[in-house]
Amino acid sequence: MDNKGTVLIVDDVEINRLILKEIFEDSYNIIEASGGAEALSIINSSRNISAVLLDLLMPDVNGIDVLKAMNKNGKIKDIPVFLITAADDQDILLEAFGLGATDVIMKPFIAHFLKCRLGNVIELYKYRKKLESIVKEQTKRINEIMHSTVEMLATAIEFRDCESGEHVKRICLLTEELMTEVSNMYPEYHLPPEEIEKIVSSAVLHDVGKIAIPDSILNKPGRLTKEEFEIMKQHTIKGCELLSSIPAIMDQGVYSYGYDICRHHHERWDGKGYPDGLSGDEISIWAQVVAVADVYDALTSPRVYKAAFPAQKAKDMIFGGECGTFNPKVMKAFAKIMDRRQASTL
Amino acid sequence: MDFLDELKELGVDVDKALKSLAGKAALYEKLVKKFPGTAKEYYVSPDFGDSETDDAIEKTHALKGVAGNLSITPLYNGYSDIVQLLREGKPEQAREALKKLIPVQEDIIKCIENHI
Repeated sequence: MDNKGTVLIVDDVEINRLILKEIFEDSYNIIEASGGAEALSIINSSRNISAVLLDLLMPDVNGIDVLKAMNKNGKIKDIPVFLITAADDQDILLEAFGLGATDVIMKPFIAHFLKCRLGNVIELYKYRKKLESIVKEQTKRINEIMHSTVEMLATAIEFRDCESGEHVKRICLLTEELMTEVSNMYPEYHLPPEEIEKIVSSAVLHDVGKIAIPDSILNKPGRLTKEEFEIMKQHTIKGCELLSSIPAIMDQGVYSYGYDICRHHHERWDGKGYPDGLSGDEISIWAQVVAVADVYDALTSPRVYKAAFPAQKAKDMIFGGECGTFNPKVMKAFAKIMDRRQASTL
Repeated sequence: MDFLDELKELGVDVDKALKSLAGKAALYEKLVKKFPGTAKEYYVSPDFGDSETDDAIEKTHALKGVAGNLSITPLYNGYSDIVQLLREGKPEQAREALKKLIPVQEDIIKCIENHI
């Protein structure tokens, strides 16, 4: 396979195509289209078109129609389009530029200038694509490092809490399962998969504020006194303070739900939670979902002050209101997940 | 007189055309010999009706472009004027201009066809 780029020439007049072909065939592979419909079919099925030379006025599907279609399918971002026209109608040219055309070539054209202009733009697009791919790769790497750092922070806090580091992973799994179920069951809570993914990543941060709670309270084997519980409750606010002081994390789209989850995962549907005493849908659906996941995991895991409860007992306690009141819709979705989990263990 | 000189006699700016094609005379001859076919394909009768104005604009515009690319200056200028008149909503004047231009076009086509 040669390294030449491919130029698509679109003109209903054969002579014009031949002239352009003659100008460019030394440097590029040439594909010809005698109309807009044929051009679109080639553009949609070919991956390696370096540039399109597009006549504006053609019968049936004209140049403007081709540009509109390329906007619709996004191809206009990747392929430079040169308009070829003898028309000096400024309105049409403005419309074409508004639709993303790169440049205008007025007929009659001069081969040498045409070759230089097209060559320059093709090089620029190649360079841009290369840069985009480098930026994409590096952004991915930065996100991976960021994610590892955040997970490390969350896990370190869990170790202080005498946990194994598995709590965060389990919460993320249940958050994903429950958020997806809620989103599918209730249109008012529907979220696209990419947002659910961000919520799951952000759930890692829910207990980050525990770093500010003294060991004597965090790891106390017995029941907390009223004063101690007040200090423990502060982990929601302390976590938010901590996150606010790390803009490098909070500015990442992937953790955009972190602050809200950290602050509100102990709020309850009836307004009896903390720290802000929010009620009903004042509490974001993601904070409500993480709250259920957190409670369920706390109940089913051993703690310094209690043994792990069996899944059924934990479920009964949650539905019995022993851990506070939750959104009935979230509870329905949670019940569905519990049934599914139970069925899969049979 | 050779082919390209004959075209020059009819007002075709052969030098300009060759310049834009990097001096490739054989290529220019090949291209210009395709002009009669294009002219027939996009022919507009001077008797076109008012309802056929859009079609007339499309075809005269195409011929303007081809004539320009081949430096057939009399036709390029003539079709430029006609396209302009049609766009300005002056079909009667466009018909008159077309009546005068068609014999010029026929002479050029005849010259080309003599060498095909």
